[in-house]
This record gives sequence, C-alpha cells and structure tokens, in this order.
Amino acid sequence: MITTRESLPLIETVAPADQAAVAEVVRTARDQEKAIYPIGGGSALDYGVCPGVPGVGLSLKNLKRVVDHAVDDMTITVEAGVTMAQLSELLAAQRQRLPVDAVRPGQATIGGVVATGAFGPRRYACGTIRDYVLGLRAVDGQGSAFSAGGRVVKNAAGYDLCRLLVGSLGTLAVITQVTLMVRPQPETSAFLVADLLDFDQAERLLDGLVRTKTLPVAVELLTRRAQQGNPVLGPMVQQSAARLFVGFEGTAGEVEWMVDRLRDQWRELGIAAPIAVAASDAPALWQWLRESDGSAAEVQINVRPGATARLIENLVELDGACSIRAHAGNGVIRLGLPPREPEDFVMFLRGRLRPAVVAARGKMVVRSYPDDVELTAEDVWGPPGDGAAVMRAIKDRFDPDGILNRGRFVF
Amino acid sequence: MNCQSATENVFCELIADRQEDPIELAMLHSPVVRDLRRCLGSRNVLSAPSELEVYDCDGFTLQRHRPDAVVFPRDAAQVAQIVKACQRHAVSVVPRGAGTSLAGGCLPVGGGVVVMLTRMNRIVEIQVRDRMAVVEAGVANIRLNRALAGTGYHFAPDPSSQGASTIGGNVATNAGGPHTLKYGVTVNHVLGLEAVLGDGSIVQLGPVEDPAGLDLIGVLVGGEGTLAIVTKAWVRLTPDPQDYRTLRAVFNTLDDATRTVSRIIAAGIIPAAMELMDQAIISAIEEAFHFGFPLDAGAILIIEVDGPVAGLERQTEQIVEFCRGSGAREVLHAATPEERALLWKCRKSAAGALGRLSPSYFTQDGVVPRTRLPEIIRHILAIGKKYDVRIVNVAHAGDGNVHPVMLVDERDPQQVERAKAAGRELLEECIRCGGSITAEHGIGVEKIELMDRLFAEEDLRAMARVRQAFDPTGRLNPGKVLPPMYNLVAGLK
Ligand SMILES: Cc1cc2nc3c(=O)[nH]c(=O)nc-3n(C[C@H](O)[C@H](O)[C@H](O)COP(=O)(O)OP(=O)(O)OC[C@H]3O[C@@H](n4cnc5c(N)ncnc54)[C@H](O)[C@@H]3O)c2cc1C
Repeated sequence: MITTRESLPLIETVAPADQAAVAEVVRTARDQEKAIYPIGGGSALDYGVCPGVPGVGLSLKNLKRVVDHAVDDMTITVEAGVTMAQLSELLAAQRQRLPVDAVRPGQATIGGVVATGAFGPRRYACGTIRDYVLGLRAVDGQGSAFSAGGRVVKNAAGYDLCRLLVGSLGTLAVITQVTLMVRPQPETSAFLVADLLDFDQAERLLDGLVRTKTLPVAVELLTRRAQQGNPVLGPMVQQSAARLFVGFEGTAGEVEWMVDRLRDQWRELGIAAPIAVAASDAPALWQWLRESDGSAAEVQINVRPGATARLIENLVELDGACSIRAHAGNGVIRLGLPPREPEDFVMFLRGRLRPAVVAARGKMVVRSYPDDVELTAEDVWGPPGDGAAVMRAIKDRFDPDGILNRGRFVF
Repeated sequence: MNCQSATENVFCELIADRQEDPIELAMLHSPVVRDLRRCLGSRNVLSAPSELEVYDCDGFTLQRHRPDAVVFPRDAAQVAQIVKACQRHAVSVVPRGAGTSLAGGCLPVGGGVVVMLTRMNRIVEIQVRDRMAVVEAGVANIRLNRALAGTGYHFAPDPSSQGASTIGGNVATNAGGPHTLKYGVTVNHVLGLEAVLGDGSIVQLGPVEDPAGLDLIGVLVGGEGTLAIVTKAWVRLTPDPQDYRTLRAVFNTLDDATRTVSRIIAAGIIPAAMELMDQAIISAIEEAFHFGFPLDAGAILIIEVDGPVAGLERQTEQIVEFCRGSGAREVLHAATPEERALLWKCRKSAAGALGRLSPSYFTQDGVVPRTRLPEIIRHILAIGKKYDVRIVNVAHAGDGNVHPVMLVDERDPQQVERAKAAGRELLEECIRCGGSITAEHGIGVEKIELMDRLFAEEDLRAMARVRQAFDPTGRLNPGKVLPPMYNLVAGLK
C-alpha cells in the first residue's frame, strides 16, 4: 500500500459548491491553460497513467445534494459528490439498492464510480454502473454544461452520451449529477464455495455454471494468495490452487434451491465437500470480495470467459507471488502484483505479462502502479485499438485544449 | 472542414429540392451507380425507378423519398467499398435492415444509396461457454433465437417485430421488447461490433469486455445508422429461465390496469414483462387469433414472471393480489406452454391485427416515469378526442413505455395532419411528465422536430460533436436524429 501512488500533481485544489461554479473553475483553468484533475472521493486517483503536468484539483465533494429520490419509479438523482455508502444508506431505507459494487464505498463518490466505469462481483448478473446510469449532467472542457439522457428507465432519444461518459475517466467532461435506475433489495443471499485442486477443475466448474438452471449473481475465482483476510472462511485445503465463490441472491426459497442444486452439480463434478456460506455470513463475504487486496500494483485483464481459468494458471506460473481475484463468469481478472524494482516491473509488464495476455487474446489495463515506476499510456491502456481515431476525435470536440485529466487516459 | 460540411448540407438540400425530377437525379447520380456496379456487380445494385419504389419508406409510411440506388453487399469489405464510393461522389448512405423502423430511420432523405444488410445473414458462431453469439447484421432476431433453441440460452431483446427485424436494426435502434423490463434493452446485450465508419474504414470493437478507452459500442448502439454501418455483432446470451408464470389480468377500465402497473413496480416487484392492451387492441387481436379474450374488457395486462420455480409461486401470488386489489375482474394463468406462446403471439401481433381497424396507422413511442403511466394514458385519450383521431393503446407498461397507435386513412390528408398533431402533443405531454419522446423506436425523421423540446441546445450540441467525430462529412443517414442546424453548429463551437 505504501508504494501506491495516492496523489496527483496538484498546484491547488478547489471545491466548488455547484455546477455553475464547476463550470467557472473549468473556464478559468482553460483561459490560464492549466490542466484540471477532477476528484471525487480520491479512492481511484492512482487509476490511469501518472500525469506529469501539474494542474488544479477540482474536488466535487461539495456537490452532495440528493436531488430527487423517486422511490416508486425506482430512480434516484444525486450530485456527483455523494458517496456510495451514503447512496446505499438512502436506498436501503426504501429497501432499494444500486447493485454495483464499488471499492471503498465510504470514500468513493458516485461521480467517480461513473467516471471509472466501476463494477464488482455482482457484475455477473447485475452488470456494471454503465447499466444503471439513466441521465447525467456534466461540464465539458470548455466549461459548458450539458445534460444527457433523462430519468426514465428506457430512452432512445439521441445519442447515448451517458454511455460515452461512463468510464471516460473525466477526460471529456466533469460529471456533476447522475440519475440512476435502482433495484429492489433482495431478501437474502448465500454463497457456495469450493476449494479447487487445479485450474482444470476450475474450468470444469465454471463450465458447469453456464449449464445450470441456477442464476448466480457472482462467480469469483481467487487464487491461493488472494485468500488472506477472508472474514468468513478459514485457510484453503492443502494443495488446492484456488477457491471458487458462487454468490446467490433472491428470496429464501430461491436461494436455498439454487445452493442445493449447485451443490448437487458440484458433487457430480468431484467436489466432495462444497462449503455453504449462510445468509448471516454472506454480507461480510460480499464486502471482502469487493475490495482490492492492497497489492503494490493491480492489473485488470479481460479475456473471454472460457479462457479465464487457463490464463490464471499461466499468470500464477509467470509470477508465483501474485494474487488473483477474478470475476470469472465475465472473464475479468484482477491481478495483484508484489513490489518489484521499477525496471523489473516495467520489464515484467512489457516482456512477460502483456505477451501472455495477448496470447490468450485478452486485453489488459494497469489499474494502479507504484509511484516510482514510469509507464507510458500504451503500457497502462494497451496499444490503441480500432476505435482510437474516433476516440481522439471525440476528445478533441469535448475538450479541445486537452485540459481534463491531461495525460491519464488513452489520449 | 466546418465550411465544407456547411456547403455539403446546402448541396443535400439542393438535391432534396430536385427530388421531383427523376431525370435530373439520375444524371446527378449515375456515376455513383456505375461505380457501385463495378464494386458489387450489376445484380446487386438496383437503380431503375420501378425497383426503387419499394425502398421509398419503411414502417413509417407518412413520408417517402426515393433513393438513387439500392445495394446488396455480402460482407463488410463490400460495405466499405460502398461507403467509399458514396464519399467519392458526395452521395449519402442509408443503412437498412428489415425496414421495420417506425420512425422513418431508413428514409433516404434527399436521395442517396440505401445499403441493404439483409444478405449479410450468417450466424457465424454460437458459443454457449462464453454466453455469446456472433452474427452478421442482417440476421433476423427470430432466426438467431431459433438457432439458439435447445442450447438453454436466448438473445433477450424481443421486439414485437422480431420475426422480421434484424440484429443490425435492433442494435442501431437499441430495440427493446416486452421482456426488456427484466432483461434490459439491446445495449445491455451487445459485447462487440464490427462496423464501417463514414470514411469507409472497418473497425472491430470488443467482444472482450471493458473498453480501454471510450465506450464506443455504447454510443453506436442506438446510433440509428448515423454514426456507422454495423456489419457484425457479438451478442450476449441470456439463460432460459427454469420456468414461467404468465398471467392475464382483465380490467374494466384502462385506469385500473395502469394503476395496477404502477403499484406493482412501486412495491419493488419487477416482473419479466408487464404489457398493456386496451379494448380496441383486444378486439382486433381476438378477431385475428380467437384467443378467447373478453371483448368487453377495458384493458388487459399480460404479466409474466420467470426464474427458478422455487420463487415463482410467491411472486405470482403477490401480483395476483395487486391485480385484484386494483379492480381486476379476473386473473387467469396460461395453463400450458402452448397457451403461453399463443398469448405472446397475440401480444406481438397486435400491430398487425390493427390492419383490421384502419387502412393505415402509425405508432408513437413515448415513455414516462412509471408512476405517471395512468396520467399519460388519460392524456392520450383526451388528446385523441381533441384532435378527433382514433388512438388505441398497447404499452410496455412496466417500463412506462406507451405505444399509442394512431389509426388513420392516408388518403385523407386532413386526418393525417390531425393525427400528426395529436402525436406531437402526446409526446410533448410525455416530456412534461418527465419522460422522453422515444423509448425504443428512435428519433428517425419522425420525431426530429421534438428533439429541441426534450433537450437544451447545449445537450444537442454535445450530441452533434459525437456525430461529427464518427462521420465528419455527415453522409451517413443524413436528416435523422439531430435537427439540421446541429449538423452545422457543432464544429463551430
Ligand atoms: C409491427 C412492429 C412492431 C415493432 N415492435 C417493436 C418493439 O417491440 N420494440 C422495438 O424496439 N421496436 C419495435 N419496432 C420497431 C422496429 O422493428 C425496430 O426499430 C427494429 O429494431 C428495426 O430493425 P430493422 O432491421 O427493421 O431496421 P430498419 O428498420 O431497417 O432500420 C432501423 C434504423 O436502423 C438503421 N440500421 C439498420 N440496420 C443497420 C445497420 N446494420 N447498421 C447501422 N444502422 C442500421 C437504419 O438506418 C434505421 O435508422 C416494431 C416495428 C413494427 C413494424
């Protein structure tokens, strides 16, 4: 943790009170040719390339109004600085939730979660934040405010600027307000867990999941080294390589049926003693699975789901000290790397890791890396793909002076 | 570049003005036709006026424009050639799937070349392990779903037009359907796209999830053919539920039915589908299919829950209780899979059955926050009276998505004008209720005039930038989505 970069090169930080003031900050910075670094809760400032150019920190922490909670419509509109924990609390009071897991919810703001395109274990059934943003307001790189979308759950009017801004890391516009679709809270949840001898067995179970009539909400595959701190389950069986967590949510009857059904399937697939985690312990497990494990660097790899187990096996061979938490149902691998000398880190990344990912026809993004390491945009985001020219053209039109999060993203 | 696109727009308008004069048009465009013939072979290029007539409109029949040519590419490379040829000759390009658009999305405004994607209809791959299928743009939605039968998976977007509409068209309009309520619209099911951009380059986005960069797929879906021509899609497959419970609740009044919908949602119950049909629709369907719907019912809701059997009974009971509590006079269960299938067939054929009520009709696509459903339906009925237009209602009610169908006789221009005015007013009413002017059919040409009611100038300008970034020359499906002025001002800002 200590070596992880936690700050941006800030000359000063300002915290405007509303959208108009945000626009004013952006216009001033543009006139003075200064870079702007939007800041939510500061939980993901190390995401992206470490920017070289000093600039103004634009904190959204004072934009924290709940604009409208249309409880019966199951939508909510909040300003960007509302934290995920505050949002959950508000929704929980109405037995609702936003089923997107964000790391460090007490700190992370909804604006930041939208800007980073957050997701977590529940992605398998519930998707990512992309799937919940119905509308938003934002200020572009010239200081003009605009709105996108609306507050209805289905809307095909015009281009989907919400999707464009989700995950754009604040490089097109500073998000000031978000309208979300929310869901009813499930009655209960539970996990079924299996210790796996090897990654062939992991793939057999994952393949089995695709064929069950159960509806998992989360399919998490964790390697041996990633088990530390598990609040519910003890150490893994000796010799096992990984542990698979399958999470269910629903009514008590549904959850019980699904756990039983999957247990039967797993027994047939050679898991002698699947471990069930009951409703009382499940919340702690959900929380633990959601958080990152504090490795010196974290890399996100995406691969087709069927190639996940094999690639994880290769990664463990590449670096025995790595820890891996994968949203295996979606082919998303979160790879935690131990500290290394800066040159070794870069060499490992370029010479070993990326080639292994490319060989598996996957993609990789370095989500966080130590301060003393210098990486290029291509190291962090990968080589520009087919869409690069269009992305550049969009960036040039929303932020022609390139002041928003300069140097952190693909452009 | 900006000046250039300004002059080009004027040029387009010029062409539009000359629409009346086919000989002059032919002269203007024959070089492009020659070029296209060279690329695709003569058989795949239509340019005789009699052949072109079929393509002068789509499912929205109130406006017509004859294209200059219609072409039938076989693969992305040919689509790229077509786009390049059109660019060389400064001609617009209009992608078209099955042509079921209800918003005039395929209308060749001011002429241009219509690119038919329907011969690109291969199902390339079905990958159950990865829960993914790869299909060419012209594959009909139903064909994909038929091919998936037995795999335990399906493609969830189920527009009522799925028997004809293509995956490319579904992607371009971000189509929804009855089961959108639980499973989401098309964008929630697209993992990757292959597309031809305005400069004729072919790009592949995805299918490995999470873009390193901007989510261009998210923008292309719903782009209505104005940003790129989609040639192939990698779509997510959804597990077939273990079982279903399909109810039809019969109400004496529309109001009782819509209030039931709002109450169910407010209680935190999200069924798989919750569809509304009013009395006129019920009678038309009954006449066509003889399902056995009561002809004196004011409205019927079709409500379906799905998932593990273990949870179905309780959900069903809760829903039945809500229906009864809101005045349902009876609630019936589909007893067999066949009965369920017929019920859905009835619902999805509702539009077709309307042919029995009127020589022609056009369908609106408003959407309101779900609690405002009773209110908007009341407004729609009042608007029908005000303009003396017969309006009947189907709705993806659970989403607050209304489809008022305006019954008209196209031979009576006054009636058509009244119907258009009524349509406009009811969409304005949707905006006033906090909703939008389209939930799934898109803007096309039909609703373009209302865009600046729904959005502020800055919002539309932001959209215009996106369009310019994808297609700086503005030749992809011009005259759709954004009011004309935004094609000019975007770059100037
Ligand atoms: C009876 C009936 C019922 C309907 N029910 C529903 C419904 O329940 N839900 C719903 O959402 N819609 C519905 N629709 C509307 C329509 O069917 C959908 O919009 C459908 O997605 C259009 O598909 P298509 O292949 O017919 O596309 P087309 O009508 O051919 O084209 C639609 C638009 O997409 C563009 N386009 C088409 N293919 C491509 C491509 N490959 N690349 C880029 N752009 C392309 C066109 O330029 C046009 O703007 C219905 C229509 C009818 C006639």
